[in-house]
Amino acid sequence: MLGFLLVVLLIPYLIAAYGLLFVKLRWGLRLFGAFIVATIGLLTAMFLVEAYPIIARDGVAVFLQTRWDPVRETYGVLQALAGTVLTSAVAMALAMPMALGVAVTINEILPTRWRGLFGSLVDLTATMPTVIYGLWGLFVLGPTLQSLINTLARDTMTSPYTLFTAGVLLAIMITPYAAAVIREGYALVPKPVEEAIYAVGATRFEAALIKLRYVRNYIFGGFFLALGRAMGETVAVAMVVGGNFVRFTTNIFESGITISSLIALQFPNAASYQYMVPALFAGALLLTLFGLAINAVAIYIIQRGQI
Amino acid sequence: MTAERKAENITAVRMVINWLGLGLFAFLGVAAVVPLFLIIGDVYIKGVDAINRLGGLWHFLTGLPPTPFDESGGIGPMLVGTLYMTALGALLGIAVGFPLGVYIGEMRKEKFANVARAGVNVLVEFPTIVVGLFVYAVMSLAKEDINRYLLGPLSNAISPVGGWITQFIGPLDGFNAYAGAAALSIIMIPYVALITASAYASIEQPLREAAYATAGREFNALFVVLRKAVSRAVLTAALLGTAKIAGETAPLLFTAFGNFYYAPFTGPTGAVPLWVWYAAQTPYEVQIASAYGAAAVLLTIILTIFIIARIRG
Repeated sequence: MLGFLLVVLLIPYLIAAYGLLFVKLRWGLRLFGAFIVATIGLLTAMFLVEAYPIIARDGVAVFLQTRWDPVRETYGVLQALAGTVLTSAVAMALAMPMALGVAVTINEILPTRWRGLFGSLVDLTATMPTVIYGLWGLFVLGPTLQSLINTLARDTMTSPYTLFTAGVLLAIMITPYAAAVIREGYALVPKPVEEAIYAVGATRFEAALIKLRYVRNYIFGGFFLALGRAMGETVAVAMVVGGNFVRFTTNIFESGITISSLIALQFPNAASYQYMVPALFAGALLLTLFGLAINAVAIYIIQRGQI
Repeated sequence: MTAERKAENITAVRMVINWLGLGLFAFLGVAAVVPLFLIIGDVYIKGVDAINRLGGLWHFLTGLPPTPFDESGGIGPMLVGTLYMTALGALLGIAVGFPLGVYIGEMRKEKFANVARAGVNVLVEFPTIVVGLFVYAVMSLAKEDINRYLLGPLSNAISPVGGWITQFIGPLDGFNAYAGAAALSIIMIPYVALITASAYASIEQPLREAAYATAGREFNALFVVLRKAVSRAVLTAALLGTAKIAGETAPLLFTAFGNFYYAPFTGPTGAVPLWVWYAAQTPYEVQIASAYGAAAVLLTIILTIFIIARIRG
């Protein structure tokens, strides 16, 4: 009945919000603001309720154990958590230098008429459907990386689909998000500061380094926003991560799993087990809390350091 | 060695470091966009070939997807589902996202507007699968009562209109196109709101005062006069947001679920990204080929919207 009221009341709520826009504009606008805040609150509450059975049964152990054994109704998401951390770490290590490169290339190196085009290409990288990245990772990137790594060090990568593959694919996907924030900051460096940098005889490379230090808040902010993306990305990761939710591993050249791909891969058959749906919702709750925390940090850093 | 020579050497070293450093930045920057070309090339080369092999463009766009034993097939039901859900999601996304953007962009002095802005910032970065799970949870909670009290009587009342209406309105299954559209709209709302907000925030103060002075009511000032000043940015936001949700897969996994046949939108509905996700992971050559064909179609849709947005914006 609660859900019914929720969905049915949504329609009069939105109509009321539009009506109020004409009558009392500010209250109408506030209703739209309340809508978005309520959505986030409701989402968190919903996951708490749905995950409650397993948290009541196992307590925090569900986040701390590594066994994922539906037959014995034992569920732990630690290996997925480790996978999320490892893939994100690989992705961030590769993406941040590229994002800095994009910001400097656009603002310092390219001639003015090419900047718009290059920026559009970077934006397009962010708009591309994730499933197409997954397709490419599945048939091109995975096998290529495997042969590349195995030429460098024999038999390190036994499967083309590993945590490392997922990390590299993620790096390509999240670079534009970090780059967007850094570019925004880079373009805001005041003209007098720039002139002062060149006045003391800095080369263009030195000027770029000084400006990057000047906008370091944006770099940290971009880092956290991109990290949030990397942790939550689902489809592309699920296609190349290997889908190994049985064995705990910290070797990035082995197949693994991340929280979001665990949900995507396990949810279709979750209904046959008593506690699997709550366990997956516990994973979703974890993702939500990570998302909230990381974004809070990112927003705080960017707002504190606004130039 | 005189001091002058020394200074010259240092300058030479600095010049070398300068070129090396700039070269490194340029290399990294280019490395970020090279995969884009590799991916687009890969999808079109294999995709166009697959479409030709599976029975030509028209058959591919309208036909049913191939079973492992077929030699031809298409993505008809998925294309219809994607267009329907994207259109609904984009409409709802713009309808809510635009006023929300006006609120957080124009009323920056209000405390609650800042709360809402933080909410929008969080929501735009949210993992999309979480949004899908949320809609799934609400749907499974509300479905039975909605069908019993609302949609059941409603579908009886409108049945005289004709059989075609049951394709759109009727008792809902657990998975349906409307849940998919709702999930997509939740992803689109913050996207549109943020771009609208930054467009409104960048309006110059004299223009704003002129608008308030001439428009009479605040509603007219904000939504009639000032809208003209930001219409370009808002249009771009709407187009880019539409391109983004057209390619989303994760939020549809547990809401639209996917379907291989032409079916009413009140039940499980197919979508092109869902078919790519499913077919690419099957071991059958013909389905993998159709995944590449579907990816080429999806990419064409998204590139078209993206280029229109760039030319207009």
